[in-house]
Amino acid sequence: MACLHDHSCEDHNCAADWSLYNHVDIPKVVALNESVPGSVKSVFKPWEQRLDTSGGFLESNEGDPELLVFIPFTSDVKIKSISIVGGADGTSPSRMRAFINREGIDFSDAQNMQPVQEWELAENLQGALEYQTRYSRFQGVANLTLHFSDNFGGDTTKIYYIGLRGEATQNKRDVVATIVYEVMPNPSDHK
Amino acid sequence: MVLEVRRATCRRFSLPNSDLRLISSPRRGFPLQATMICIDNSEWMRNGDYAPSRFQAQADAVNLICGAKTQSNPENTVGVMTMAGKGVRVLVTPTSDLGKILACMHGLEVGAEANLAAAIQVAQLALKHRQNKRQQQRIIAFIGSPVKYDKKVLETIGKKLKKNNVALDIVDFGESDDEKPEKLEALIAAVNSNDSSHIVHVPPGDNALSDVLLSTPIFTGEEGGSGFAASAAAAAATGASGFEFGVDPNVDPELALALRLSMEEERARQEAIAKKAAEDTENKDHASSSNNDSVMAEAEPATNAADDDKKEQPKDDDDLLQQALAMSMEGGSSGSASVADAAMAEAGAVDPDLALALQMSVQDANMSSDSDMSKVFEDRSFVTSILNSLPGVDPNDPSVKDLLASLHGQGEVRSFLFLS
Repeated sequence: MACLHDHSCEDHNCAADWSLYNHVDIPKVVALNESVPGSVKSVFKPWEQRLDTSGGFLESNEGDPELLVFIPFTSDVKIKSISIVGGADGTSPSRMRAFINREGIDFSDAQNMQPVQEWELAENLQGALEYQTRYSRFQGVANLTLHFSDNFGGDTTKIYYIGLRGEATQNKRDVVATIVYEVMPNPSDHK
Repeated sequence: MVLEVRRATCRRFSLPNSDLRLISSPRRGFPLQATMICIDNSEWMRNGDYAPSRFQAQADAVNLICGAKTQSNPENTVGVMTMAGKGVRVLVTPTSDLGKILACMHGLEVGAEANLAAAIQVAQLALKHRQNKRQQQRIIAFIGSPVKYDKKVLETIGKKLKKNNVALDIVDFGESDDEKPEKLEALIAAVNSNDSSHIVHVPPGDNALSDVLLSTPIFTGEEGGSGFAASAAAAAATGASGFEFGVDPNVDPELALALRLSMEEERARQEAIAKKAAEDTENKDHASSSNNDSVMAEAEPATNAADDDKKEQPKDDDDLLQQALAMSMEGGSSGSASVADAAMAEAGAVDPDLALALQMSVQDANMSSDSDMSKVFEDRSFVTSILNSLPGVDPNDPSVKDLLASLHGQGEVRSFLFLS
């Protein structure tokens, strides 16, 4: 596998670094303004498959480049850096804003709130670029929301891969849950 | 054994059609959802072309929808807001408390003009601040007054809803000018993602607004059938429960399984008997009520005798039981026949004659029920028995089945296939 980093790959396995996708709670990943519902789940995959679009990719609706991706994790993680592989012809995203541990963010919230960190992205068709996070702010992340507010002039925004690098702790974030006890169990509620 | 027949009978008939709360279908119609219902209480709602008035019809439909949603999933929440009257305001924020929702519909006044754009914005805001962020967001808008916005504006509204993943259902009723249906269709097309949004056009007529809505996707939800809606629809149409055998597998799986097994056995056996009884049936079809009673009286001791002494049924009971079969085809409802299956599941495997006698005694309990339902089923069973007696007509022929199905409307084909 061609590793595009400068170092030699005998020392470590690049793929292992980008293995935080294992801790993403993929069934619960949600994206707003995606043209094909559910396609966001295909952008979380191993490093080797980052250019492989056979499983589908995330595309925004026609004429609207904004995308909002909500990523819950199965346990708390610490995120060191993020890598995004976008589409060609100006469909790569150009700005990314991250929010941590907030559920139910929609576009009006994302535009008005102060993000935890914001990046200007470059076109990254091979997935060689990674964007470092301010590590101290990204400790204990139970869910991550990425808001891609703009692209390089294309009609839609395409994202083929979102890579996350960091460590997983075994902790689960404590959540105050509203629990409804079932009078009659229904299997379809538990899918 | 007889006791069990009584129990099954009582259970079947102690559930009036209106009390469908206790039954929930394994096919849940609505996934976890928060819904905002936008009511049109503009001046146009005073019109009486939907009985008793447009506003009342709308209120009934709203009550029905709220009930369906909250029952299909106890975590669903529903909120209500007005589009006209004193202005666009939220009467009750999304809640799963049905009483609160029904109460807020009282004392609503009709007047002014509906403001659709503002209403949808307010509904979106109300949904955004729902307590359980995992619920899908849905808006149901009743639009009875003319739509003064043009298509472009509506499409922008629709796109904004789609971007925020909010589904929209529209009930188009009341005023209908030339462009209203197209405008609303354009709005739905802009919002629709993956078939989650629907539009229903209800023209004025004899049918109540709520009845028309019962069969639409607005009621039946995404998975193609909510138990409440399906049974309510069946109840409205034919006066019977929409479930197989009248019993829901969730409520009582053993009973449902027993009914299904016994129906299979019965069908196999009935085919054999029906062929044999074809000539007898022709004569017995015109049995009078006195014949009825005498058969009844004879059936009772037969039942008791069978109870004590199953293995030694005298063969002259066969005649009696042929008559019982004929009577069973003629009288009573298919519901009771299927309930009798419950007992027959236990008895049928052991003694088919006993099963028939039991069925007879069940129908005796049924004789007095005087609903339209039993009359309809009598007709059905009568037609079916006539068909049986016709030479050359095979009741299992698909074209015959189709004919019967079309004659008798939805869903009950299974029940009277048993009879045939």
